[in-house]
Amino acid sequence: MKKRGIGIGSMFYGMGYGFSRPDISSAEVEICEDGSVIVRSGEVDYGQGSDTIFCQMVAEELGIRYDTIQLVTADTFTTPNAGPTSASRVTYVTGNAMVKAARAIKKTLQGVAQEILGEKDLLFSDEEIFSEAQPEKRLSFSKLAKECHLRGLQMVETAWHDITTKDVDPETGQGDAYATYAYATQLAEVEVDMETGKVEVLRIVSATDAGKAINPSNVEGQIEGGVAMGVGYALTEEIKLEKGYLKTGNLGEYMIPTSMDIPTIETHIVEVPIPSGPYGAKGVGEPASIPTAPAILNAIANAIGVRVTELPANLENLHRLIREKEK
Amino acid sequence: MLHFQFFNARSIEEAINFLAEEVEQCRIIAGGTDLIPALRKEDIHPDFVMNILEIDQLKGITEMDHAVRIGPTTTFTEMIESDILFRFFPSIVQAASSVGGPQVRNRGTIGGNIANASPAADVLPAVLAYDGELELQSKVSGKRIVRLSEAIEGPYKTRFLPDEMLTGIIMKKPEPGTRGLFEKLGRRNAMARARMNLTILLRLNEKEEVSEVRIVPGAVMPVARRVRGTEEMLLGKKSEPSLIEAASEVLAKEMVEVTGIRWSTEYKVPVLKNMFKRMMWQLLR
Repeated sequence: MKKRGIGIGSMFYGMGYGFSRPDISSAEVEICEDGSVIVRSGEVDYGQGSDTIFCQMVAEELGIRYDTIQLVTADTFTTPNAGPTSASRVTYVTGNAMVKAARAIKKTLQGVAQEILGEKDLLFSDEEIFSEAQPEKRLSFSKLAKECHLRGLQMVETAWHDITTKDVDPETGQGDAYATYAYATQLAEVEVDMETGKVEVLRIVSATDAGKAINPSNVEGQIEGGVAMGVGYALTEEIKLEKGYLKTGNLGEYMIPTSMDIPTIETHIVEVPIPSGPYGAKGVGEPASIPTAPAILNAIANAIGVRVTELPANLENLHRLIREKEK
Repeated sequence: MLHFQFFNARSIEEAINFLAEEVEQCRIIAGGTDLIPALRKEDIHPDFVMNILEIDQLKGITEMDHAVRIGPTTTFTEMIESDILFRFFPSIVQAASSVGGPQVRNRGTIGGNIANASPAADVLPAVLAYDGELELQSKVSGKRIVRLSEAIEGPYKTRFLPDEMLTGIIMKKPEPGTRGLFEKLGRRNAMARARMNLTILLRLNEKEEVSEVRIVPGAVMPVARRVRGTEEMLLGKKSEPSLIEAASEVLAKEMVEVTGIRWSTEYKVPVLKNMFKRMMWQLLR
């Protein structure tokens, strides 16, 4: 017999390191004589898509195409320190540094363009700089870059961003420990095989607060990846030690889910911009996976009337609970 | 990394000649889905590895009058796509479908699954249920036919002679009206070793009595085999719920007699019984 259940998991999550631990990042934007743009940052893109959104942010500020930007990242020899890729902090901290560096160099460009065009209010768009009032007054981005270089101006800017917070009160534990918080809720629908203890996750619906999704496809990808990790955490992944030796040292024994184990995932990106984030954005990395296991375990409890208190809810553990209940 | 000499056999004759000469230290490779990991982990240290994938005589599925012959280098994918197997041995197709993932099924072969003699093999127990026979060849002793049920000595150990090579798997076509079912329980839905698997073949006579039954649990005993006690209990009787319940108890007892009580027994006993009952009802429907 198979039984179905639905469960919900909700979380809030402090972004970055909090508790007065140093949390800084930096970025560098350089414009070359030919108008090409080089961006440098120590941040690592290990698949979550930070490289793409850095280019998007600089492109947005300078009015250029994001796919023309040259990006140099994660090299201690050439890039400024951005701190670790962790704590769901990259978009929030390094993103701010990116925008700051881009805005600083834009100021230089703007000054020269105002002088050449004789107009104060200028727009940067489609690789051009032009007057809003008199659109025929325009200048190409590459021409402006060359002019700045001819004038010997500083065409590289480094920006620093710090989100280090105050610590909480050591006596009471009260205070605002983090620079900002992220929120997410997920629903899981599962089917439990009462005869074998096997759990099939049928569907996950996720609502994740991204502040502002800089790249919605990336955010969706991160949520789907996070859900997959959460499914593994809930149902199969287990580190086994025997006399201190790791018995699950490869992916044949440490069971992560395959594509055949991942259900349909419905993602809803919730956008409530925060003033302290770049364009209102915050991180979604960990908020994508944190609610999944609680939602699945609640769904299991809903299906079979027994609460799992030990992970993973694998064949043996779950079937033992079913047997104990039937006794 | 290990050092070994590689020999690429082009015909059965070439292969068995090589085995006759290099018999002590030679391992045979076909798909390599078991052998390569074993080499990498340095579980085995052969001096020679002989490839048999390019021997045409070992490939393909052939229908004969009363039997079907499967070449040992036939891949799981080829088995899944075979109309002949689908018609006569549906449980073999189900078992082959449950192996690994698409890449493993494209590489892995039925001969490897049998000759590797893993206790957790998926196709081997299904072939046992159909009472498959193996054709073995050697330069010295020539060709002989052995029943699969007599060819496996223990986990990862066959009773093949050291210079013998598996050259064919032969299965008699089952009697008309035989129903078959294979089910595998793994920790995930692909790339999973069997936690257990179960093959059941069943035929009823016109009085709805069990006239033939073969039951092979896999991955629960060191060597997969038919559970004769359970089969005998069902033979000649009508499949009442009480009979199936009682047979499931005997099945569990037969397993525990072989394995003894282990940490996994408290799980395997009830779940094997459940799987057996569920599959029996599915077959009787």
